[in-house]
Amino acid sequence: MRRRPIAGLLMAAPPVLVVAVFVGFPIGTAIAYSLGHVGGLNTTIARIARDQHTVDAWWQQTLGAYADVLADGRVLRDLLTTVAVTLVTTVVVVGLAWAIALYLRLSGSRAAQVLAAIAVIPMFIPVVIASWAILTFYAGDGFVRSLAAILGGDAPTLGYTVVCITIAMIWTQLPFATLMVTSGVQAVPTALIEAAADAGASFPRIVRSVLLPLAVVPTVIAATFTAIATLGAFTVPYFTGPNAPTMLGVDMAAYFQSYNLPQQAVVIAVVVFVIAAGIGALYVWANLRAARAAGRA
Amino acid sequence: MTRRRILSTAAVLAVAGLLTACAGNGPGATAQGAGNGQNVRVYLADDTNIQELWQNTLIPAFTAANPGIGVDVQFDLHGANKTQTIAKLAAAEQQGKDPGIDLVEGGATEDAGPAGLLLDPAGLVSGLAGIDPKIVAAAGPGSVPYRASSVLLAYDSTKVQDPPRTLDDLLAWIKAHPGQFTYNSPKTGGSGQAFVTTVLDKFVPPDVREQMTTGYHKELEDNWQEGWRTLAALNQYVFQHGVYPNGNNGTLDLLASGQVSIIPVWSDQFLSGQQHGTIPPTVKALQISDPPLTGGATAVGIVKGTDRQDNTVKLVDFLLEPAQQQAIAQKIGGYPVISLDKLSADVQTAFGDAHPDQLRPTYFTDHKNDLNNLWDQLVPGH
Repeated sequence: MRRRPIAGLLMAAPPVLVVAVFVGFPIGTAIAYSLGHVGGLNTTIARIARDQHTVDAWWQQTLGAYADVLADGRVLRDLLTTVAVTLVTTVVVVGLAWAIALYLRLSGSRAAQVLAAIAVIPMFIPVVIASWAILTFYAGDGFVRSLAAILGGDAPTLGYTVVCITIAMIWTQLPFATLMVTSGVQAVPTALIEAAADAGASFPRIVRSVLLPLAVVPTVIAATFTAIATLGAFTVPYFTGPNAPTMLGVDMAAYFQSYNLPQQAVVIAVVVFVIAAGIGALYVWANLRAARAAGRA
Repeated sequence: MTRRRILSTAAVLAVAGLLTACAGNGPGATAQGAGNGQNVRVYLADDTNIQELWQNTLIPAFTAANPGIGVDVQFDLHGANKTQTIAKLAAAEQQGKDPGIDLVEGGATEDAGPAGLLLDPAGLVSGLAGIDPKIVAAAGPGSVPYRASSVLLAYDSTKVQDPPRTLDDLLAWIKAHPGQFTYNSPKTGGSGQAFVTTVLDKFVPPDVREQMTTGYHKELEDNWQEGWRTLAALNQYVFQHGVYPNGNNGTLDLLASGQVSIIPVWSDQFLSGQQHGTIPPTVKALQISDPPLTGGATAVGIVKGTDRQDNTVKLVDFLLEPAQQQAIAQKIGGYPVISLDKLSADVQTAFGDAHPDQLRPTYFTDHKNDLNNLWDQLVPGH
């Protein structure tokens, strides 16, 4: 079929415009604000802010706010915490999602279907409520410690720790990843699996050589969405985590609301944005690969 | 048939639930009244007890005394949208448009005043003369203090027979009873902030303290060094080796469930908590000395661009009348800001020991922002 790039562009124009105006433009002004531009659309926020670094003309830039934030040991510490929580959460979530998907694909039993359905339930529970529930579950007087005490043992108090943040993040992120990976693995034709089994392939070999290559795109999508959602999390670390170290989402809110330093809050947001953009590139790559495989590009 | 009816009922309920959820708690979401052009529009960014105080007590009294002037409340729970609301005021002021709000209350006043968004009440509000000038100065520019409260020490009397009565005693008690004390992170509530302020004050000379109460002098914050070290050294003795919950209620929950034995608490929150039964009767409160925990006034501020200035001034003056000050004392246990001898005998006895006229004010608002920031940097995890 002959390609008509102009028609395609016109059809894509409305969503592109909406994204440009409502997403791209605010990001642009925010980045300009972080570089010291306090005029124009940034006048209002600049008027109530404290300790701003400003420039006099549009061609000048100042990295003062960035220097402020980087000089603050707390932000670096919280950046490391955020990256660590994101990595652990993503790996565990993708691992669990794959375990459920394989169980469902290879056993297909009623128990497997029930398990896959249960794994999706957290999607229907608001994050605030889930955070409180998880906090009380692991608190000093929570279920885990009470059970251990009844059995004569002593369980650690996980409430208000980074471990608790990670558990809660895994809990909230698992449903989406499970849906993605399960559908990807379910889509692998049974004939391929049986052919491999007939040729004498072991179970690990079938997973590695048949299922994994055919489900790699949904897996990458699940991983990138989990990672980006964890990176920008606020509610979970705010409620379940310790005062320090915490995650950058909490720091951003504190800089903006509690310290009245919006410029520095924007700087942290830019840092998170850059990391998320890196992860987003993976997602785009996976999509392109899928499109190419389908012969659309 | 029955089944279908159950299904349709469930569907209706679900839709109703969704609609309620969509209503949210943003400013304006709970605006009341038909929007009379002369109604005073008040922005309240507080807890529900303050919403009740205004809607059930202050506003009915005001409309009864001033027929024809209504009051519309825009309620914003815990000030979740405070920054946005102040940005809205700033934008309206810049463009010379109606800000949509005539009077701001509480934390919003502290931020809007220094940004130059409030009218100077001197000369406008005659009731200002009845308030201690020190309390007025501490409230910041554009602010009219109208109620006050102080932070007390709440303790579980079943576990603590001999509660500490001075700051030094308290610090020694915390070290002698590991895990039994905590305070909320200062950025999330005034009670924890008051404890932090009081420990910092231990090392700040009185004349320096005075300057930091009425203005912003960043260089004077060097005097906090020793206090930060003291606070960081407490980490290992605090609940779970340094857990500071978020919000004034976070610590109250820990005290009520018996996980800690002593916490700082707002006087009004303690009184209303005991009235409503959320704080058990075995919990007692006292004020320490040398120095006492800080307290402070909560203020209202008249928005600069208001087109209803006369009515708004009327409302502010009304708040400072003895009858309303008395109502505030009775309804929420708030301290009056006017001299006690203008109030009834039972209010005088109830607040006589609390010395609302001698409240030790907190730091100036910019210093408070810095204090929140530095605490996060220097105390937890060190």
